Amino acid sequence: MRPEATPVIHAVGLTKRFGSHTILDHLDLEVAQGERVALLGLNGAGKTTFMRCLLGLVPFEGALRVADRDVHGGGREARSRLGYVPQRAPSFDGTLGEVIDFFTRLRGTAPEAVEARLEALDLPLSEHGEKAVRTLSGGMLQKALLALALGAEVPLLLLDEPTANLDAKARREFLRSLQQVNDGTTILLASHRFADVEAVADRLLVLHRGSIAFDGRMQELRERVEDAVTLWIKVPPAMRDRARQQLQTTIELSTVLANGTALGVQAEHTARVDVLLELKRAGIPVEDFWTETPSLHQLLEGVLGLEAAEGEAP
Amino acid sequence: MIARAALFVQRELAGALRARWFLAYSAVFLAGGLLLVTFGLADTTIYGYRGFAKAFTGLVHLALLFVPLLALFPAAASIAEDRESGALEYILAQPVTFGEVYTGKLGGVSVAILLSLTVGFGVAGAVAVLRGVPPGLVVVLYAFVALLALVFVALGLCFSTVTSSRARAMTLGILVWLVLVALGTLGVMLAFIRWGLPEQLLVTWSFLNPVEAFRMGVVSALDADLSLLGPVGAKIIERFGAGGTAALAALSLVGWVALPGLAGWVLFRRRG
Repeated sequence: MRPEATPVIHAVGLTKRFGSHTILDHLDLEVAQGERVALLGLNGAGKTTFMRCLLGLVPFEGALRVADRDVHGGGREARSRLGYVPQRAPSFDGTLGEVIDFFTRLRGTAPEAVEARLEALDLPLSEHGEKAVRTLSGGMLQKALLALALGAEVPLLLLDEPTANLDAKARREFLRSLQQVNDGTTILLASHRFADVEAVADRLLVLHRGSIAFDGRMQELRERVEDAVTLWIKVPPAMRDRARQQLQTTIELSTVLANGTALGVQAEHTARVDVLLELKRAGIPVEDFWTETPSLHQLLEGVLGLEAAEGEAP
Repeated sequence: MIARAALFVQRELAGALRARWFLAYSAVFLAGGLLLVTFGLADTTIYGYRGFAKAFTGLVHLALLFVPLLALFPAAASIAEDRESGALEYILAQPVTFGEVYTGKLGGVSVAILLSLTVGFGVAGAVAVLRGVPPGLVVVLYAFVALLALVFVALGLCFSTVTSSRARAMTLGILVWLVLVALGTLGVMLAFIRWGLPEQLLVTWSFLNPVEAFRMGVVSALDADLSLLGPVGAKIIERFGAGGTAALAALSLVGWVALPGLAGWVLFRRRG
């Protein structure tokens, strides 16, 4: 059930074409206040184009409103209702303090609100304000842009693959920062990383060929992940065929894969131990075993009913 | 709207000071202007202020060489550089209009260039006045140089909106400047002699080419001397008079500021 309040994002028949190529095809969508939505899709699915439509940066057909403000006609009013964190923080000229000052004045945001956010994000202006932006790490810059977006206290936060260019530590810190977002703020996150989606989103939208191919809850994706985990088992090469036969006849398995060195088994997570026990019972020594979680890309292929990639041992 | 555009003007000015081109340009204009005035005014003891003609011719050529190029560089970089770094998309994702960003950038680069010109030519002009050159002449020279600078700021910004990188915008700007210089009096006269085109076309071209318009306007306003004007200039002076020629040239330069400025704005809105 979706909340009944005025949607923060409301698209009706949203269509975007580049020449003869249709990127968004009569998209209808509502996102309610406070929802945390992950926007997923394979490369070229239209995620960034959808974000650009919301920002009013590209012309489009159909109706699109952000927090009850029409995006058509430039969309300045609509943009005043959203905060944006891009994939890669731009390398602005000047110090962090100057950049923060410029954007707070441009937005008409209270400087104290942004400063408080910077403090909370462990990037106090008193310590970093005099540093040239070019000398700051990607993670620090993304945090600064997040502080600007949060300080504006807008109803919608657009995050366009904000961790794509961050290292693991910076990514963790950034995702932790998102926990400071108020409950009433709607988040729309475009991402290629399952960990990001899992940390932020409760609703998933999968774009495919310009339309919404999947609109569901995070739990549904988690279940798909559980079912799609592959247990890889390494047995002596001479016993591989026997092991394969043994498993196929004794345990109800969805798939048994094989590559040069290992057998891959896809089974319900509760049955994975049984697989190992069955091999032991049959006198087949297990030299090694490990699990492989599918990538978000592979899951999307599954959601979209596309041909899954061949299983390979990592 | 004005307040937000003013923020961009401030940002461009701060960027100019930070990048140090502002100081470098001021120094170039100052050094060049002082050298020419000092040596040029050596003749004033013999010929009165008309000896300033030498320095004045030098200043005109200095302006024709440096002012367009120095105005083109920061203007061509202005939008293209922000686009390259991703800053433009982030800026346009804020509650601002394309018009505010564009006018702010145009205003910012223009003010920075005019300030550096004022510093450089201002000192050279003051020295000239102290040594007997009428202040009116210096003011008119400064006004034409400022107009020439604004023409190339507008052109540079226009190129900056349609190119994907700073380097491309600058290359395009330099190419246009070279064409305009090459199609100055001499090149056009050769073409006219070769193809026997009507004189009216040559006169019109002299006003349509901003580089030529600047040369004609400034020379006719300050010292309508045949040796400085050349045969085409002399013909134009004969037809419009010195004041009329200067006014037409100024009008042409204003048009060259307005047209690329407006074209850039339209292209910027379209391209985003």
